[in-house]
Order: sequence, then C-alpha cells, then structure tokens
Amino acid sequence: MHVHLVETHILHSDRPFKLESGDTLPCLDIAYETYGNLSPKGDNAILIEHALSGDAHAAFYHAGDKKPGWWDPMIGPGKAFDTNKYFVICTNVLGGCKGTTGPASLNPATGIPYGLAFPPISIRDMVDVQRTLLTQLGIDKLQTIAGGSMGGMQTLQFFCDYSRMAASFICIASALKHSAQQIAFHEVGRRAIMADPRWNEGRYYNDIPPEAGLSVARMIGHITYLSEKLMQEKFGRARKTRHAPNIFRPSFEIEHYLDYQGIAFVRRFDANSYLYITNAIDNFDLITSVSGTGRTRGEGRARGEIEEMRSKKGLVITFTSDWLYPPSQGREIVKFFSALNVRTSYTEIASEHGHDSFLTNTSTQSELIKGFLDSL
Amino acid sequence: MNTIIAQNNAIITEWITPGSRVLDLGCGDGTLLSNLIKHKQVHGIGVEIAEEKIIACLKKGISVYQADIDQGLSNFDDLNFDYVILNATLQVIHKPYKVIEEMLRVGRFAIISISNFGYISNRLRVLCTGRVSDHIRLTGGWHDTPVIRFVSLEEFSSSLETMGIAVMDARFFLPLGRITKHPLFKDLLVKEALFKLRRN
Repeated sequence: MHVHLVETHILHSDRPFKLESGDTLPCLDIAYETYGNLSPKGDNAILIEHALSGDAHAAFYHAGDKKPGWWDPMIGPGKAFDTNKYFVICTNVLGGCKGTTGPASLNPATGIPYGLAFPPISIRDMVDVQRTLLTQLGIDKLQTIAGGSMGGMQTLQFFCDYSRMAASFICIASALKHSAQQIAFHEVGRRAIMADPRWNEGRYYNDIPPEAGLSVARMIGHITYLSEKLMQEKFGRARKTRHAPNIFRPSFEIEHYLDYQGIAFVRRFDANSYLYITNAIDNFDLITSVSGTGRTRGEGRARGEIEEMRSKKGLVITFTSDWLYPPSQGREIVKFFSALNVRTSYTEIASEHGHDSFLTNTSTQSELIKGFLDSL
Repeated sequence: MNTIIAQNNAIITEWITPGSRVLDLGCGDGTLLSNLIKHKQVHGIGVEIAEEKIIACLKKGISVYQADIDQGLSNFDDLNFDYVILNATLQVIHKPYKVIEEMLRVGRFAIISISNFGYISNRLRVLCTGRVSDHIRLTGGWHDTPVIRFVSLEEFSSSLETMGIAVMDARFFLPLGRITKHPLFKDLLVKEALFKLRRN
C-alpha cells in the first residue's frame, strides 16, 4: 500500500500578535500540516482542530515513523475528510509545544524560554493564530471546521468569530463551557505539576522537567477519557507483575497502563503548555465570548457576524459513554446554535470508549461526516 | 402501506403553509421533510433514533436530531415550530399522551396519523383466526414488534377530547384507496386517518 508522507511546516511571523488578555507576543511561529490540494478557486479547504495533547500532525506519516497522525482514520483519500476532494489543514495550537509558540519557546526579549513569562492565552487566541495562518496561505473560505474535545471548542469559537469564512462546523465530544467537574479534574492535574519540585515556577528548561507531576496529570486525564465499562473489560483486576504484589510498585494492569501513558506523555509534552492550555479550556465560555462586551476588538467581533451564521450548517456529535463531555453538553451546543438559526444536526453515537471515542470510534463518525459534507 | 405513506405525505404537504417551521418526529430517511423543503420552502428539523436513518437525512442535507421521542422534546423551546408532525409513528410510542402534549407545547399545530384498529377487516381477522396477525402488527411477532399501540378511531377521538385538543382538519382513508373528509360508519370503514390538531 502506498504510504502518504507529510511534514510539519512552520510559518514564522514577525508581526506582534495581540492576545485577548491585552498582552502582545512580539513574534509567532505557527506549526501546521496540509493534506490534499487547494482547488484553483480556493474553495475546498477544511480546518481540523486538535485536542489538549494533540498537534499539527493529524494524518499521514512522517518519514520513518511507524504510526500516522492522531486522526489518520478520518483524513485521507476516500476517508471522511476526503483529501481527493478537500484541502485539509491542521495547526498546532498557540501555547502548545509542537512547533507553535508556547511557554517552551525562546522569549526574544531574554533569549531564554518564556516559562511563566508567557502571557495567558484563550481559545479565541488559538483561533486567531489559525486565522493568521489561513490569511498567509491565501484561504478565506472554509467548507468546514472540525474537531473533538478542546478541538470542538476551537471549532465553535472559529465559526462564531469568523462566520463569514466558514460554511459549516462539526463539533465532536465538546461543550459550550466547562462544568465544575471538568474544571476540577484539570485543577488536580495542574496541582500535580506545580507540586513537583522540578517544576520550579516553570523554570526547568535547562534541567530535568517535572516528569512526575506531568505524568500524574496525564494519568488523571486518561481515567476521564475512558468509560468505567471499558476500563473494567480491558484491565479488570488483572495483575501484570511476576513479583509478589508490593504496595510501592504498580502490580495491577490498570496501574501499568496509566504509568505507561504518563511516561509516554512526559517524553512528548511540556508541563507549562499543559498548565496554559488547560487554563484556556477552563476559561472558555462561548456564549459570553460571542455576546459579551469584549466583542469589540478586531474583525469578526462585530454584532453583524451573528447574522452571517443564519442558514449555515452545524453537526454536533456526542458519544453515549462519554462522561467527561456528556451528551447533555452536546445538546446545549445544538440549542445555542439553533437559536441563532444555524441548521444544526445532533447525533449521539452508541460507543463504549468514553471520551476517547472521538479518536477510536471512527467508522460511525466517518459515515455521519461524509453524509454531512456531501450535502454542503 | 407505502401508498398510504405517500398519500399522507401529499396531504401533509398540502396542509402546510409555505415558509413554516416544521418538526418531523420519527422522520425516517427524511423523505417527507425534503418534500416539504422543496415544495413549501419550510425550515425543517427531523427527530430520529436510528443511526442509518440519521445518515440518510444528513446526505439529503436535512437537519436531524438524534433522540428518543418518548424521552420528550425538552431540548426544543415552547412554540418554536408552526407544525409538529407524527406521521406513521404513533404506533411505536410508549407514552402517547406525553408526546402529544409535547408536540403542542413546541408547535402551534400537530399533525398525527393513526391506523384504525377498529377497521372492519381487523375485526374480522381477529374474530375468524383468533390471532392478532402479523398483518395488523405490520412487522415482527407479538414479542418483538415495535408496534405496541393499537388504537381505534373512536378511542383516539375521545382521547383528543380529554386532552383538550381540537381537530382543525382530518382526512380518512377508506378501502380501495378512497380518501374523504366525512366518512360514513367511520369506526368500521376507515383504515387510516390523518389529523391536523391544535389546543382548544
């Protein structure tokens, strides 16, 4: 079989970038990948938004890699986001650590990594960065914007802020805003990082990073991404170790699994990015952001944009076993957009994979998304 | 059965005012809604529970909401629609009174089709064979058919009265494909009926 190769590109911008907080980043790197070809009219682009721990590598293979991008079953020739038809773009989010400017990037003012000197960021800042990239690529029309979890939040924010650009949105396993429980899980993760002495107020870039703290944060995350049923079926009370059970060493399969996930994560993720991005997610509140007084700055914030949404189309997908972003939050999204006269469809996929379903249950999602995109 | 659905769809299309907001409960593959969008320029949403039918609706470009109608229409605001349709669906509803109440909460008018269990050939069939045949159930055996509501025209009419619901218009399907507004011996001779309803 032919393997599709792809590389992550970096767009560097020396123009100061103003954030929602009022702070300014003096310059910006934006990491992105593209799949398929832009049509001569430039009207076949789709923007894919990644979740908390994702990156710009959504599909295809990097040279020499054994694993493809994080949403490869969904993006490619003949797949849901068919690269024979569409030009698919994915960027690493602002504040991330996979090529786009974030707390681990060098602060031009000091010559050392930003660390906690990095300004607070919002979901709106993330989509503004994507807008900057699209402008550079000469794209001013999107067939759709799609993403799951935090990617769903960016999807909705982009659709509202730049509704003139997008014909539709596909929001998967996401919410208009975080509930107390969702914030609580994030806060435990952040506390685990900050309680690790190696975190050192965010100054660890010349030293060993706060691996223990970050891996605990990831372990908590993984518990919330799986359903109770799946976890029981997959691990139950099975033990892995050949040694006698020891309370100071993991022995249950589930302990090893979480341990492995934690360790794998610290190799690829920056602890400060985790703090900044989870903070952006917790502060996200779409209704306030599109109707509040803060909607005065810049393009796309004028009241008139709401009118632009009328008769456009939305697809909201949830999963029955997702208790982190439950179907009730998906129904809230539908209610909000229906009231704005967006023709919003809602589906609740029967799946036992919990929140992770948006990454693992790709067959039903593909059918729904294909049908939705065909009718645009 | 299919010809009755086609006739129902034609009458419903005739009843609905152009440009209305329409909610179709149990919309199936979206055939009725696409008719209404095409001929009456309605703003329509379907409610459907089956995944493959949801996909069929999306392919037609129809907005669809996956839900179990029996769970209520709580995600829809009061009087959000002009018409709420329950076409060839009442027979599978567990809580018909609740669903009908909900229809007239979210919509100004309800359109409901029923199959008359008191129709003479149903009576004779039960009398002669002693069985509720597959023909009456439409699909499946007694233990697994989704068709759980057998209502006669007379019972349905008195239910509407009890609920304080007025019939604005009705069409009755007689044998040999005849349709009338004013049938004789309707409890015996009507196979199917279609009602346009509103609150008293």
